[in-house]
Amino acid sequence: MQTNSNQKRSNNINISKMRKAFSFKPLALGVASVLLSACSGGKEEAVVFKNVNDCVDALPSMAQKCETAYKGALAEAAKTAPKYNSKNDCEYEFGRNQCQTYNNSGSSIFMPLMAGYMIGNLMSPRPYYQPMFTSYSRYSSYRNNWVGADGRNFGDSRRSKLSVSSSAFNKKPAITRTISRGGFGSSVRAKASWGSRSSGKGWGG
Amino acid sequence: MARDYGFHFHTMHGQAYWDETAYYQFTLEQIERDLESPTEEIHQMCLHVVDLVSKSEERLTQFAIPSDYWQAIADSWQAKEPSLYSRLDLVYDGRSPAKLLENNADTPTSLYESGFWQWLWLENNVDNNQLSKRADQFNSLQEKLVNRFKVIADYYGINYLHFACCKDTDEDRGTVQYLQDCAKEAGLDDYFVHIEDIGIAESGELTDLQDQIMSHCFKLYPWEFMQREEFGPHALKANTGWIEPIWKSVLSNKALLPLLWQEFEGHPNLLPAFFESDMGSMNALSDVKKWVKKPLYSREGANIDILENGKMSLSSDGPYGEEGFIYQAHTPLPKFTDNYTLIGSWLVDDEAAGISVREDKSAITQDLSRYMPHIIL
Repeated sequence: MQTNSNQKRSNNINISKMRKAFSFKPLALGVASVLLSACSGGKEEAVVFKNVNDCVDALPSMAQKCETAYKGALAEAAKTAPKYNSKNDCEYEFGRNQCQTYNNSGSSIFMPLMAGYMIGNLMSPRPYYQPMFTSYSRYSSYRNNWVGADGRNFGDSRRSKLSVSSSAFNKKPAITRTISRGGFGSSVRAKASWGSRSSGKGWGG
Repeated sequence: MARDYGFHFHTMHGQAYWDETAYYQFTLEQIERDLESPTEEIHQMCLHVVDLVSKSEERLTQFAIPSDYWQAIADSWQAKEPSLYSRLDLVYDGRSPAKLLENNADTPTSLYESGFWQWLWLENNVDNNQLSKRADQFNSLQEKLVNRFKVIADYYGINYLHFACCKDTDEDRGTVQYLQDCAKEAGLDDYFVHIEDIGIAESGELTDLQDQIMSHCFKLYPWEFMQREEFGPHALKANTGWIEPIWKSVLSNKALLPLLWQEFEGHPNLLPAFFESDMGSMNALSDVKKWVKKPLYSREGANIDILENGKMSLSSDGPYGEEGFIYQAHTPLPKFTDNYTLIGSWLVDDEAAGISVREDKSAITQDLSRYMPHIIL
């Protein structure tokens, strides 16, 4: 259909990207649960290093960048890695001796050790980086794979060169320990008990 | 086709909600002169009221906003925290000036039907030669929403955003999913959590079910509910950036209507409206015989009574009203064949962005009203 600049409606809508069927599945708990839109953005090359030495060996001229990215990734790992209430829960997912204590507001929780860090856009003055984890647990679907803080699986951990979508380097929400839930929604419970409103109808207007 | 695009709520309670066997036709002049310009003008008048109310304890009390939130409203307004969208409900018969019934500024729904589905309906009908190739539609919602998400992302410096609505509401979940898709088009990563599942972290932030901190959140949940719930104070303390921002709780309140009338009395797009306490002014308007009594907080036609010559007639039940009422001069919805029609006029930030038409067999628009597409020709 013809479009012109004077029309009163959206010129173009990317129909294939608009939802075909809504997912009403709640996100499950745990590391494996993030729903990812794998299709957004282009692909780019990334390299995973196990530590700073590993990086400097491969890229002697970029020692400073190796160091900076490593420190940044460690800090990011502390913020965004999955957190567990017990060491057992953490080791169940990542393997024996693969977890460390994370101190948060005076109490201790557990998170996996950073197993490596992924660097992208290497030639730029400020390369991107993300912490990477791996699992040695035979109970985990991440066993011997590289996995991001949000549960994204990057495949076999013996590989160091990856082709990833550019969104893999996006900033992720920080993870913390939740102490209480359920403090929103009481108005709805109260008003829903009133007569004719049946489920399916929302609270917007 | 509806099913293919996730239009799950096209029938509700066994009645048709989406009706594509008919449509409404407007002229470009009707759209631009009677709906588009007045929508932006009404919005500016509403912002004037926000400015007034946010600075006055007396007004905030009149709006039944709990005092714990007054400072936050003033701060949010002063900081010009960005809003996403609103829907004005207008009575319009095609000839006379459109009249503002209410402003759904905080949690408007029927967005997906308007921005996407209605647009697709037109494209298909034109492609199949069912409608003229010159047929257009007042509907730039999707384009404007995507652009607005980019502006909001820049304002807060974010590349991801949380989205939240209540459990067991297909309609709200559909609206939120649509907004998530728009945000993704704008380059944002999206995370979803149900309102009931939101948690508080040791450090005071709000969290989703994966214990991820919700630094910024679009909520399809009314501020007036949040302000009366256990986690309400945390919604402020957590420093979460909210969309819609809390200053919008002034606009989604029916007390807006008498205040608009007080500030812009006689404006062609406004209906006379008064607080309960101001019956004297109502009686002085002797040419208005019929008044609609509305709770300060209510949604979708619930708890509305019609007062005629001092007597209550037609009324609708509902769970609202404990915070008080306002009176608005009654104006009949225009009737085409057997149906009463209401125009929803959309704003993205402060720009008019399209309309949706809903119709109903009853004179009070209930939430089962049918959604009708429209064209400009």
